[in-house]
Amino acid sequence: MKTPMIARPRLSLGGELSYLGMLAPLLIFVAAIAVYPLLFSFGISLFKYRLTDPNQTKTFIGLANYLRAFSDPVVITSLKATILFVVGTVTTEIVLGLGLAMLLVAETRLMQIIRSFLLIPMALPSLVVGLVWKSLYNADFGIIPYYLKLLGISAGHGPLGEISTAMPAVILVDVWQWTPLLMVIFLAGLKSLPIEPYEAARVDGASRWQSFVFITLPLLKPTFLIALLLRTMQSFKVFDIIYATTAGGPGTATSVLNYHIYTVGMVFFDMGYAASLANILLAVVAVLSILYVMVLERQQA
Amino acid sequence: MIMKQKAYEKILLNGLVILVILFFMIPIYWLITTSFKFGREAFVIPPKWVFFEFTLDNYIEAIEVAKVGRFVANSLIISTGATTLSLLLGIPAGYAFARSKSRLLNSSSFFFLLLLMVPPVAMLIPFYLIMRNLSLLGTYWAVILLDTAFDASFVVWMMRSYFVDVPREMEEAALVDGATHFDAFFKVALPLSIPGIIASALYCFIFSWNDFLFALMLTSPKTKTIPLGILASFSAVEIGWGRMAAMSMFAIIPAVIIALFLNRYFVQGLTFGATKG
Repeated sequence: MKTPMIARPRLSLGGELSYLGMLAPLLIFVAAIAVYPLLFSFGISLFKYRLTDPNQTKTFIGLANYLRAFSDPVVITSLKATILFVVGTVTTEIVLGLGLAMLLVAETRLMQIIRSFLLIPMALPSLVVGLVWKSLYNADFGIIPYYLKLLGISAGHGPLGEISTAMPAVILVDVWQWTPLLMVIFLAGLKSLPIEPYEAARVDGASRWQSFVFITLPLLKPTFLIALLLRTMQSFKVFDIIYATTAGGPGTATSVLNYHIYTVGMVFFDMGYAASLANILLAVVAVLSILYVMVLERQQA
Repeated sequence: MIMKQKAYEKILLNGLVILVILFFMIPIYWLITTSFKFGREAFVIPPKWVFFEFTLDNYIEAIEVAKVGRFVANSLIISTGATTLSLLLGIPAGYAFARSKSRLLNSSSFFFLLLLMVPPVAMLIPFYLIMRNLSLLGTYWAVILLDTAFDASFVVWMMRSYFVDVPREMEEAALVDGATHFDAFFKVALPLSIPGIIASALYCFIFSWNDFLFALMLTSPKTKTIPLGILASFSAVEIGWGRMAAMSMFAIIPAVIIALFLNRYFVQGLTFGATKG
């Protein structure tokens, strides 16, 4: 194929206008379907607005919803549950994901087949994942309490039914679904590693454990950062798994912030308060997203 | 990294691989076998792993009583609609971001990345109220539009990175020959980015197909999608696990096809730039 040597066109008015034309439909769509609702949400959060009131009056109350959020004991509890869930899932998934990547890194046909089967969990509807695990955890007929009993561990009301075990049980469901994603990210990271440092280390008589700790881990630092931020953002948004397994219970043990907001808005229809809580969550995730974007940019530069 | 393994290490590593396969596959195996078991057999203690009485009753019930076909149709309508709309809006925009030399346009592309990260519930609450005011609650459009807000943002970002990798020279040659920028996009760049379009389409489809929260709040009994159908069948009967499993089998078909046969494209979508380079 002939590629003629031509000067690269400079910033041309015609070109930029065409590009604007290609962007316009999306910009209009997003302004109407995403930006407007977010502004609308900020507006609503300044009102007392319950859909359950007979005449659904809106009363302007300024920032009272936000002040209420920061002193609401239920919000504090759900914030604690959220942190527990996010830290629990993200750290477990990163450690196991790296382990899986190291275990299955070989490019043999068998490993490729195993890896593609491991992708199935993260493509499944989370609601189905939650329901399947709920049946596995069931105190009366679930296989997990049955085998626990054989090992001499009494499961009581089942792992999901006890306050002490509900959170770890829910975390395990998330770990099951999303560890393969971390495996994929770490596999890409491992494949991009240079080979020279390992050869040098071997010449120097380093053990495999030493080259893992002193070469692999430091070189994977950017991958860790990406994985950490990506999964943290996703983990903050968990909903389907909680809905399917515990509905936030027992008590409020697994009522993470995202689930709590849903309850306030879509079950109690306290829209103003729900909007203010949602905006607080949005702010937290926005900070993480901006960090994520900055890291991605630096890495691709 | 490759060093000679000792025999006991090999056994240990193989054992770990088997453990991993068991952990990740048992829940799926359990779902599949439950869908072929009679209600009473599904939950006998000790559990029957391999030898159980095989039945298609759950599937017959799912189709005839729970009307799973209706839910599948709704899921298909919503997923296809959202995917089509997202591609139509997102592909040209991704191209514009990749080719424009204007700093303003380039920095605004990050806005779509941020939009993608918005917690769904933060968008859902105002969107629910707006759809309610417009009397659009319960229509296919309500879900399609909200799905598209997220999907299209994804497509822009994905396609931008694809078009950046498509060499400019051919487009520039076409421009010199008098083609418009739209021609350069449709006739030169688009055919070269088919893999990116497939990856984007798969991601959009599976996002809408698996979505539960948006459909939960925005659909009516007539427009319910398959995850809501599963939930409904489950609460209607006391021991609905068998039927739940049979209905879930319909819900997981796209996931299994994508993971096993289209994984190359799917992984690109899920890791979302994280593994690039």
